[in-house]
Amino acid sequence: MMENNTVIKKKTAGKEALLGVLKSRINRQFLFYLDLCARCAICRDACHQYKVTKDIIYLPAYRAELIRRIYKKNISPFGKVFPRMFEGKEIDDEKLLEELGKATYACTSCRRCMVYCPFSIDTAWVLSIAKEILNAAQKGNTMLGELADAAIFKGENIDMLKDILKETLKETEAELKEKLNDENASIPMESQGADFLYVALAGTHTILPAAMIFNKAKINWTLSMFEASNYGYFLGSSIKAKTIAGRIVDEAKRLEVKEIIITECGHAYRVMKFLYEAWAKEKLPFKIKGFVELVTEFVKDGKVILKEGNLRDPVTYHDPCQVGRNAGFYDEPRYIVKKISTDFRDMTPNRERNWCCGGGGGLVAMPELEKFRIQTGKIKADQIKHTGAKILVTPCENCRLQIGNLNEAYNLGIEISSMMDFVVNNMVV
Amino acid sequence: MNGFSFFAAGILIYIAVIVFLAGMAYQVYRWIKTPRSSVMLGIFPRPKNKGARFFKLLKDSFIFPHSIEVDPWMWIFAILFHFSLAAVLLAHFRMVREFTPLVDVLGKEGMEKLGAIAGGTMGTILFIAILFYIFRRFFSPYKDLSVFEDYFIVFLLIVIIALGDHLRFFAKISVSDYRAYFQSVLTFRPYFPETIAAKGAKWVLTMHVFFVNLFVMYFPFSKLTHAIGTFAVNTVRSDV
Repeated sequence: MMENNTVIKKKTAGKEALLGVLKSRINRQFLFYLDLCARCAICRDACHQYKVTKDIIYLPAYRAELIRRIYKKNISPFGKVFPRMFEGKEIDDEKLLEELGKATYACTSCRRCMVYCPFSIDTAWVLSIAKEILNAAQKGNTMLGELADAAIFKGENIDMLKDILKETLKETEAELKEKLNDENASIPMESQGADFLYVALAGTHTILPAAMIFNKAKINWTLSMFEASNYGYFLGSSIKAKTIAGRIVDEAKRLEVKEIIITECGHAYRVMKFLYEAWAKEKLPFKIKGFVELVTEFVKDGKVILKEGNLRDPVTYHDPCQVGRNAGFYDEPRYIVKKISTDFRDMTPNRERNWCCGGGGGLVAMPELEKFRIQTGKIKADQIKHTGAKILVTPCENCRLQIGNLNEAYNLGIEISSMMDFVVNNMVV
Repeated sequence: MNGFSFFAAGILIYIAVIVFLAGMAYQVYRWIKTPRSSVMLGIFPRPKNKGARFFKLLKDSFIFPHSIEVDPWMWIFAILFHFSLAAVLLAHFRMVREFTPLVDVLGKEGMEKLGAIAGGTMGTILFIAILFYIFRRFFSPYKDLSVFEDYFIVFLLIVIIALGDHLRFFAKISVSDYRAYFQSVLTFRPYFPETIAAKGAKWVLTMHVFFVNLFVMYFPFSKLTHAIGTFAVNTVRSDV
């Protein structure tokens, strides 16, 4: 495929070019993060990966320290004069880059360390810049790179793929009509002037239940031809990430929708809601909403009617980092779960203190980190076990995949459900 | 005052103040001229209004309550260290002017007693806290995380605090003697009054002031800028 050619053509960037990448990403917050860290390591046990492995490479302060050492040697006015004071390092230092690659691609970007840091240092943000440097040094993650390039390829060749996509959805649409017992139920695509553009994931598991809810709520929606997930973001290339998210933005502009609804996918929501406008340097002419937010509105407005108290089995809810801590939806999902279940059991800790599942940041897509994420997911597994719940609801695909793996590895014996499946199974059809 | 004292506890003070002010101004200028991130880097839940946001900023900057949950010992010693340091710094102003309202209440002897007890307590707490800081860095993972700067700053602080405690506990120098010295510095004619110059403790005082000068001069170029940076960076926490 084309990405192979680009790899061969590109030469490894020199020291100056790598420094250029770092310098171009400097902003005021980044300076604070690099200048102020006292290396107190209070963040130590805030990170599930350090807590389990006790390996310094996963200590949040140390991960950022790697970038700090480059910054001190090359950018900080005082550090340039006295680099030894800070163990300043060159940006093309092989050992440093190797450590940086390990520390960076293992990070799930859950930003839990930020909650506990006295200076609220955003390690994930520092590492997002580390990823740009690694990519420029041709040390980006290969698997994530390939997945990102495939998504860009799909965007460039969508006209070829359109009909295939529509064809595969015919079966799903038939299933939808049968489930709702409604001949008029449909999965519209490319519907000009629709109110909502719904962005799902690859496969139909996030299309069918969402379509049931949308048809039930009788809204004017249309399904995006693109998947929400963004491997460019995981790879840490803001250019690729922007291109991938841009496919959806262009589609929304073309169809003149009022809102983009991102399915239950944590990072996709973060990219659209918090990052895209900064990358593209433009204000989007429509709102961005997450699925949980929308479905809560439907329930509150009576557009979707839930069978209240339908479940007696204990149910727990996992706050995905990108839905909770990084987007602020704590009450909405609990509102729905508590309506349906008579025995809701919150995890300890929860909300902004909730432990990361261990699979975010693209980890579930990196085979080389599979063992690691199961190992470091032990904290999450214990937390789930402690609730005694039979069903776990969580509105993030990454979390579900990871917790599914934990379920097997740690014999949790729970049923894992997306929010939309949970709603569909417990709503009045 | 002999030559070294005149330099270390005299003119070096002026140099230190100039370096500190210029360095801090430069550091703040560097921060301000760098554009803010166009991405909102805060975390949720977000404060409901400006007042709540300001209150959260103060809370996070002064007592960082979340940290106690993950590292209670570090939190306790950090709080002890910083609050004692603030109290000790404040108490040093007694050398500029006597806290007359307090003397009115306590009487002259009572004031001396308060100074001895409060100063002694704070000085002891500071010394224990700084020892905790350094011992912690002798163990993994802190050892592997630490760079030379970390030891350098703690070294300066240990020396400053130890000498300060020595002056508090063993040197028989009265507050009016200190005030005379301090006034001489403020009027740009640094000298030790006879009562200090005649005592061996003048060397302790000279070295205490000397190391404070080094610390103050290093301050703007180090992680110590967190003393003011913490307010700026903790507002980012609510930037959502």
